[in-house]
Amino acid sequence: MAKLETKDIVKYFKHESHNLKALGGVDLKVEDGEFVCLVGPSGCGKSTFLRIIAGLETPDEGQVIFDGKPVTNTGPERIMVFQEGALFPWLKVRDNVEFGLKMAGIPKEERAQISKRYLDMMQLTKFAESFTYQLSTGMKQRVAIARALVMDPDVLLMDEPFAALDAQTRDLLLVEMQLIWEKTKKTILFVTHNVAEAAVLGTKVAVFSNRPSRIKKQIKIDFKRPRLSEDENLLGLQQEILSELRPEVKKS
Amino acid sequence: MNKVLLSKKIGFYIVLVIAWQIISLSNIWPDNIFPSPYEVGEDLVYMASDGSLFYGIGTTIMRLIVGLAMAIAGGIFLGIIMARIETVNQTIGSLVLGLQSIPSIAWVPLAILWFGLTDAGIIFVTAIGAVFAVTINTYTGIKNIDPHYIEAARNMGAKGTQLISNVLIPAAFPYMISGFKQGWAFAWRGVIGAELLFSFLGLGFLLNVGRQLNEVSQVIAIMLIIMLIGMAVDGFIFKKIEDKVMSRWGLR
Repeated sequence: MAKLETKDIVKYFKHESHNLKALGGVDLKVEDGEFVCLVGPSGCGKSTFLRIIAGLETPDEGQVIFDGKPVTNTGPERIMVFQEGALFPWLKVRDNVEFGLKMAGIPKEERAQISKRYLDMMQLTKFAESFTYQLSTGMKQRVAIARALVMDPDVLLMDEPFAALDAQTRDLLLVEMQLIWEKTKKTILFVTHNVAEAAVLGTKVAVFSNRPSRIKKQIKIDFKRPRLSEDENLLGLQQEILSELRPEVKKS
Repeated sequence: MNKVLLSKKIGFYIVLVIAWQIISLSNIWPDNIFPSPYEVGEDLVYMASDGSLFYGIGTTIMRLIVGLAMAIAGGIFLGIIMARIETVNQTIGSLVLGLQSIPSIAWVPLAILWFGLTDAGIIFVTAIGAVFAVTINTYTGIKNIDPHYIEAARNMGAKGTQLISNVLIPAAFPYMISGFKQGWAFAWRGVIGAELLFSFLGLGFLLNVGRQLNEVSQVIAIMLIIMLIGMAVDGFIFKKIEDKVMSRWGLR
């Protein structure tokens, strides 16, 4: 049984004069421990699709099925990492990371133990007492990832988390992300518009078509890790993804 | 504050007091109409030495604090339910805007009829003058929260009062601070005005006594005290809080 499955997800973007069919029946099966990258032309609704899985939006048609049961709301087993991090500026890094634990009513000492592990993993220990305005964009994304991992979700939903980073920081985080995935064995859905990023990270890349979008092609990737974005072996794969993507971008 | 600015300010006040002293010495107006700064100072020392000044300040500040605290608590509550429940906004919201336009001093007759010449009446006028400024700013603050904060918090399991106290209030805090500051300004005007009309202890009462005794120097002395307290609260308390909040929230 798939860990996560979407059945025929349809979503309209509502405008004043007309409704635009953004998602035209998206079917996706994700096995436990898979790292699925979702790529597609901009505006195809891939971020919306991720938000539907998170339960932050409801589909107009179709179902999200997690562990065999349909889900309609947000849940701690599906945690989202936002593009801009959405960190809370009024909290220190440590308190940001512990936020979900605090909401779950876990006592302070226990929270500190759990958060320490993830602060270490994301190399944030030195910054635990900092406020977010004191951090670089890359550091903020590390905090956002730590904050999500602390929840120990089954599925991590990442919405272009590295889009705002400079190239060096991104390369660093691409390697770290693979290590985290290997260490934690999480199921990850990762939305990106960057084909190289998808090829480096994914065990599978799902290419979205233009609106009303569906998943046009799924490509398995089983190169050894850690992969680097300059890896020559990945070039062929990137071209394969691009050749699927290019006609869709032209249509949009 | 840099030294040049500080010396400019000090210089200005010295010149002002000297000019005042010269004008009063020139005897254009009689002393009982236009007292010298020396006489005003004398009155201040006299009122300080018999304790009436400090008793007056204490009484007024106590009423201010109680009234403002009630206004802040009530304003936050009203602001939150207006922001979260659309029907409340559409109904009570319009009434709030209307009530906000009533000068606090216009509540005095009603307060006297309802509460008599008591502390409660003065506190009522103080609170009602300030509450709607806090309400409107809290409402605006909550409406302007980055929706990602709320989504992230919901995703991590925050709901109900947890969401309000851990996310909505801190996220709206920069706006709420402006509300408190406006509320304080209204409350300060309200409490002095009410004390004048109730003529029941406090700085406003001392102003009234000065008028009844034809003591212009006492009237001016009390006005100076009112101004100094106002400047101190604005310049120290609110400026400190504002600076801290602005930098931590990354707004500066």
